[in-house]
Amino acid sequence: MSLYGLMAVFADPEALVEAARGMRERGYRRMDAFSPFQVKELEGILAIPKTRLPWAVLAGGIAGAALVYALLWYSVEVDYPINVGGRPLHSWPPFVVIAFEAGIMGAAFAGFVGVLAANGLPRYHHPVFNAESFSYARGGKFYLLIEAADPKYRKGVTKGQLTRLGAETVEEVEA
Amino acid sequence: MAEASANSPAVLRGRHDSREISGRIGSIVLNGRLPRHFWAAFFLCFLLVLLLLYSITYLIAVGVGAYGINMPVVWGTMISNFVWWIGIGHAGTLISAVLLLLRQPWRASINRFAEAMTLFAVAMAGLFPILHLGRPWFFYWLLPLPNVHMHWPQWRSPLVWDFAAIATYATVSLLFWYMGLLPDLAVLRDRASSKPAQLFYGILALGWRGSAYHWARYQVVYFLLAALATPLVVSVHSIVSLDFTFAITPGYHSTIFPPYFVAGALLSGFAMVLTIAIPLRWAFSVEDLITLRHMDNAAKLMIAAGMVVAYGYVSEAFFAWYSGKPYERAMMAQRALGPYATLFWTMIGLNCGVLQLLWFRRVRRNMPLLFAIAIAINIGMWIERYIIVVTGPSRDYLPSSWGEQSLTWLDFGILFGSIGTFFALVFLFIRILPAITIFEVEELAEEEGKLK
Repeated sequence: MSLYGLMAVFADPEALVEAARGMRERGYRRMDAFSPFQVKELEGILAIPKTRLPWAVLAGGIAGAALVYALLWYSVEVDYPINVGGRPLHSWPPFVVIAFEAGIMGAAFAGFVGVLAANGLPRYHHPVFNAESFSYARGGKFYLLIEAADPKYRKGVTKGQLTRLGAETVEEVEA
Repeated sequence: MAEASANSPAVLRGRHDSREISGRIGSIVLNGRLPRHFWAAFFLCFLLVLLLLYSITYLIAVGVGAYGINMPVVWGTMISNFVWWIGIGHAGTLISAVLLLLRQPWRASINRFAEAMTLFAVAMAGLFPILHLGRPWFFYWLLPLPNVHMHWPQWRSPLVWDFAAIATYATVSLLFWYMGLLPDLAVLRDRASSKPAQLFYGILALGWRGSAYHWARYQVVYFLLAALATPLVVSVHSIVSLDFTFAITPGYHSTIFPPYFVAGALLSGFAMVLTIAIPLRWAFSVEDLITLRHMDNAAKLMIAAGMVVAYGYVSEAFFAWYSGKPYERAMMAQRALGPYATLFWTMIGLNCGVLQLLWFRRVRRNMPLLFAIAIAINIGMWIERYIIVVTGPSRDYLPSSWGEQSLTWLDFGILFGSIGTFFALVFLFIRILPAITIFEVEELAEEEGKLK
């Protein structure tokens, strides 16, 4: 069994933020934090890149609307044109209504599937679940993970640093 | 926050820690020991589910004439039930999406069951246009499917738009709801002690582990879905109203309908939110999570929507007169004084009269009274939908072809059956999934400094 990283447990979000900042100042980069709700300060500290998912949502919306509009256009102009009293076949205002709904549908699917894909979910197992102390909910605790793959990682040193930054417990996590 | 709480109750009462919040909300689901009155109420609802199944079977076997529609009134309670149920769903989306975008913290403890309410209301609503069809088994003709008939749906018909709108609304509501559930399902997975429960919630949680990287993406997309749901909810009820306004029938053909329908949807939806929330917070003793503040705000939104609805009533009558058309004027006079006069004035009395009680703070904070008002508004809004659907065609252009719709047992069988099915689904939801959003309430408690 190889080592995946060190999991430090903190009692409240402020302590987690402090520790994450401290570890980053010490040069650690391969870190992750786990919390029962979003802790906004972590985004800056962990340098989480701004997500490009909004573009995926936009693309999904445009694709949904365009595809459905094209389908309607094809059905009235190409596949089954019916001349009713000389009215235009391509009567766009009513088509916009359905295209709008399809656009919303496409955007919502793009967002939902996109966020799961970007987060690598669904995922059957992840090394952090090997940690004894890691229970997402039971304690309402806040966790900081330093990966063993981090270039700054030194077995005893990192553990001591985490403890000095206020970790309640520090645990080695198997990969 | 501080000055707001000086004269209005706090969003959360007392001090909480996150272990207690997730424990209390989670244990409603995981302990599975629900009070006896919960199952008694569920049993009553189940009887109504059976009534719905019987009524639908009867309707399909005998035909749509069985529920009292006939020329000239061929749109009956199936359409009014449909509009009523869709409207109820809209308040859920408003609470979960619009209040999220407006960053109203008080939505956190009621958004989950409001979204569930939306889903179940849309599920009920979706039944009715299908039952309304003479041959319900052909409903899929509304879809552009490659089929042997070689036909396409009529894209210019509001009925087809309606189909697209309802399908989109149901799907997007489901995605939004499930996405909001993910972190809470992970909480249940980790708290569950039995193997089947761990497996069930574990699969549904999709491996969520609360990573900071995941939260960052999650919140962005959750906001985007809320931003998508907001125009969607307005478009859905507007399209529903176009089913009426595209007809030249007197009483249907009116430009006020889209906003008027949306306001009516919010009024009836908030009435339903209160109808569920008041017994829920009492039965599960979560009065400190769903507080008087929530009830108070919902009541205020009800009166705001209700005043727009009252404006709709007035402008409908005014434009019938101002149009100068004898048919429109006759229809409006007949609506107020004709065979449906009793229902019409009951509707005005409930939706415009009883509603005014909510101006008083003491009424808004008196739970039994607020519950009674919510029920009254639910009834009033159902009558409104019925009046709109039925009075128009019953007083058409030709006085020789005037006629009324007669309500039969089947109308009520399907209506009350659907109400029972809706509540049965709500009961199952409370049993299986956390009815209060755990992670948002924890975040709220943290922000308010009420986390120990």
